[in-house]
Amino acid sequence: MIRRFFVGSAMMAAASSLAQRAVVEREGSGTISINLAGYRTGGDAASRGFLSVLKADLNRSGYFRVTSSGATVNVVGQAQAGSQLKADVQVYKAATRQRMLGKSYNASAGDYRTLAHRVADEILYAVTGKKGMASGKIAMVGTRTRYKELYICDMDGHNIRQITQDKSIVVAPRWTPDSKQITYTSYKYRNSPCIFLTGRGRPLSKDPGLNAMGSISPDGKTMALILSKDGNPELYTKSLRTGITRKLSRTRRGNEASPCWSPDGNHIAYVSDSSGRPHIYIISKDGGTPKRISSSGTENISPDWGKNGYITWCSRVGGKYRIVVANPSTRTSRVLETDWADYEDPRWAPDGRHIICSRTSGYRSAIYLLDTLKDSPVALVSGSGDWYSPAVSP
Amino acid sequence: MMSKILRMTVFLAVACSLAFTGGCRNKNPNDVGLYGSDNLYGDPLLGDVPLADVDGLPADGDRSVVQPVYFAYDSSTVNSEEAGKVEEVANLLNKNKWQGVIVEGHTDERGSREYNLALGERRSLAVRDYLISLGVDPSKIQTKSYGEEMPDNMGHDESAWRKNRRAVFAMY
Repeated sequence: MIRRFFVGSAMMAAASSLAQRAVVEREGSGTISINLAGYRTGGDAASRGFLSVLKADLNRSGYFRVTSSGATVNVVGQAQAGSQLKADVQVYKAATRQRMLGKSYNASAGDYRTLAHRVADEILYAVTGKKGMASGKIAMVGTRTRYKELYICDMDGHNIRQITQDKSIVVAPRWTPDSKQITYTSYKYRNSPCIFLTGRGRPLSKDPGLNAMGSISPDGKTMALILSKDGNPELYTKSLRTGITRKLSRTRRGNEASPCWSPDGNHIAYVSDSSGRPHIYIISKDGGTPKRISSSGTENISPDWGKNGYITWCSRVGGKYRIVVANPSTRTSRVLETDWADYEDPRWAPDGRHIICSRTSGYRSAIYLLDTLKDSPVALVSGSGDWYSPAVSP
Repeated sequence: MMSKILRMTVFLAVACSLAFTGGCRNKNPNDVGLYGSDNLYGDPLLGDVPLADVDGLPADGDRSVVQPVYFAYDSSTVNSEEAGKVEEVANLLNKNKWQGVIVEGHTDERGSREYNLALGERRSLAVRDYLISLGVDPSKIQTKSYGEEMPDNMGHDESAWRKNRRAVFAMY
């Protein structure tokens, strides 16, 4: 109750049932001013780094505006580091001095960024009751070694780490539902597209022909994937326990691509060009008749079904690739306002408000953050080759 | 000579049957497009043969034997100007000059990488279906899609894209 108070009247409606609709309809989104001027740090780099990352995360969340005076919410406490970073954090409502969060955190000094992300999400939750995105991870494909390898980074684009060293081609990364591993398509076995899981040597799928775009169900038991073993690319599911595959689509004249799961794991959204152009379809995980949900645009590709219930995909509108957000039950949709560049492969951030995507201009690709409530693209990862095909940990 | 006549007869039969199915599909305006009545060669309705096991088979081959087949934008139809290259490969395989072929499907850079992976496979499979219709043993044909990942020409205009929408024959 207390935390709801701070959201303000416009946001309060959004906090409950209307939150879902706000994503499509762009209801007003005020920000809460938050003051960290009273937060003390030591002279060491880790505690000062902690504070600056925390401020950046709060601003990036879209819910806060960090100020140095006269705020609605005050954050006080102190951070100090030797080999260990110790941070005390108290969050107060300014008007009543009511405490909303009081906690001590410890981490190794080298992990100050990770700790700041965690604290940012806990402050956001304490004040608004909403799940933040700061602790999420982005998987992506990078070309800086001249091969196409898998990388991960934090949600602010920092802390980039190379995951594969295969000197091959990585396509279509997806996180597992526990956010611990990544499935991806690679050519490292027989120079053929097969599906792999990080931390596991043998492929998850290596049938003849195409094995690609593996996406594991929310319960972790089944993988949706595209196979051509029966003579045509089709959507299949594969039991991760028994290895038994099941064909869901039957379009001998069409391609299927890019499966993703509904939050309840009962449906799969995917791309099919069986109508002549690529469109987004939804099918039951047990098969049956697919339902087409996209109508306009010459190409509708690369869907991602968020935990907020909304599906985002990439649509070619007026010669440009743009991002669509749609409510699959009401079939209402909105094209996000973006500039003249191409925006592709949208993926929901864990907060259900932001979208990570690739932005391509002048034939160079970078990873960008979009706020569905504000339409303000922010570059997260750019330079040193191309970065594309993002996937965001759930 | 005899085989040529036979091949033409097969073609005509195929063309007629597809003109018929294509005509039916065109009643629905949504169905006009990629796989309409012009899809004369390599239609998967002809083949639709499960892919053979590739374990133990070569994973690479000689790409200089027959030139690549080129495709129109977002199409996996082997058009008539390109069909001769497929017939050349069929000839070599049917005469056992080579053990087998890997048909490598590629797309241009437009569209999503994932969709292009499926489109590249469709191109490989269209060529495969055509090879099968020319009497090639399906177990001699492997398919592999590179999607847009391995362009032949690094340019960003139609002259580059035209070179990149292709199916390459790696003979072994």
